[in-house]
Amino acid sequence: MGKVKIKRKSTLIDMTAMSDVTVLLLTFFMLTSTFLQKEPVTVITPSSVSEIKVPTANLVTVLVSPKGNVFISLTGDKDSTYSSENMRAELIKSVVAEYNKVYNKNISLTAAEVSTFAKTNMFGVSIAELKGWLDLSQEQRDAYIDPSKNPEKAGIPIDMNQDLSKPNEFQIWMRAIYNLSNPNIEGTIKRGEGIAIKADKSTTYDKIQVVMDNLQTMKMNKFSLMTALKTEDE
Amino acid sequence: MAQIDTGGDSGKGKSHQKKMSIHVDFTPMVDMNMLLITFFMLCTTMIKSQTLQISLPTNEKVEKEQQNKVKQSEAITVILDSDIDENGTPTKNYLYYYEGMIPLTEDGQVDLALNPMKEEQFLGNENGAARGMRKIFQDRNKQVLEKINVLKEQWKNKELASTEAANDSVYQARAKEIRNDSNLTRPVVIIKATPNAAYESVVTALDEMQINSISRYQIDRISHNDSVLMMALKGIPYGQTPAEE
Repeated sequence: MGKVKIKRKSTLIDMTAMSDVTVLLLTFFMLTSTFLQKEPVTVITPSSVSEIKVPTANLVTVLVSPKGNVFISLTGDKDSTYSSENMRAELIKSVVAEYNKVYNKNISLTAAEVSTFAKTNMFGVSIAELKGWLDLSQEQRDAYIDPSKNPEKAGIPIDMNQDLSKPNEFQIWMRAIYNLSNPNIEGTIKRGEGIAIKADKSTTYDKIQVVMDNLQTMKMNKFSLMTALKTEDE
Repeated sequence: MAQIDTGGDSGKGKSHQKKMSIHVDFTPMVDMNMLLITFFMLCTTMIKSQTLQISLPTNEKVEKEQQNKVKQSEAITVILDSDIDENGTPTKNYLYYYEGMIPLTEDGQVDLALNPMKEEQFLGNENGAARGMRKIFQDRNKQVLEKINVLKEQWKNKELASTEAANDSVYQARAKEIRNDSNLTRPVVIIKATPNAAYESVVTALDEMQINSISRYQIDRISHNDSVLMMALKGIPYGQTPAEE
């Protein structure tokens, strides 16, 4: 007598509905997302009202760091014959051959080094150091081209050279990309969609001008600048 | 929801089967999904970058006679400059402009007494009205903009063509026609950036060309006379002009 019976209530919450929602969200993110590409420097692009989207295929991105280091990234075609990996493998072979010819060097890459390069999204070392760079581990490679860790070596050497019979390394890369066996990339470059310059908004203009001048020298005078979207009221 | 009732009816049966309920706990499943969502949210880009397309002239030497001389009355020269800190990062952006040519004295020097250069700013619209440099561009490109605005109205009301896509393409084609119509008075904008100028200002200047439908513009190197004018405007005595070209 007198004992109050406390009713035990179950604290189990039915999580099924919650699970349904999360799965839906997950599906949404998986379908809409494109993965961030790893880049040696994070840049905040300036904004413009232009609504032209960056193409997803056949694109050369030239990344200019605030200190003026230049990096190149090549995206191939959707067609698997001209996929990014195949294109990069072809690219590095022709670049090394051209470099050996112009500068009288004798660099040869192993198949493993070529396949490492084909898997690398963005690169930026001098061709002379390319072989050694490709032999490093993934982490070491990233650190090597990070301008904050290795300001001296990071970036593709570039100068104001206007003599195309003795091109600088940036010009060798760009010309090799233009001459790749993929006919579509030549088309997009000619139309001005194929080359996108990506730089931080607080980069000084002289660093961008070097890249623009080089492109102009190579008669690739149509290109695009990567921007973020803004409205006319901003 | 996740319970499956397997219990038989408990009325008449002799062997009273116990009501069994299979209750699956979904909490770990939710935990895992949440982790995956977080992963996807952090590792993806939702917004695709936009591009601003520009075409520069070739670097080849053009014969003096073949060069298109810009009509004096049409020219606006925009000069971009920035202050930079010790790390070389731009801190404050400046915008100067002048219309027409630089006045010269008889011996070919810059006539500072007639300095045509003025300071301006890139400003966004306020309540739909243009301000700053944009207002100046719009005033100079009035004839083109009036026609474009009429066209834009038609495009918004879908009067140009029957289908959506055709409407867009007709609009694009006609807008291009208007922008390049040589019967209208259109300005020629010459954008000159100093080596210290922030890249952001250059993009903003190019962007203004799009916003104001200016079809003729070029990016050029800053000349000696330009920097003399700019220094005079900034109040830095001549002789301390930074080295260039």
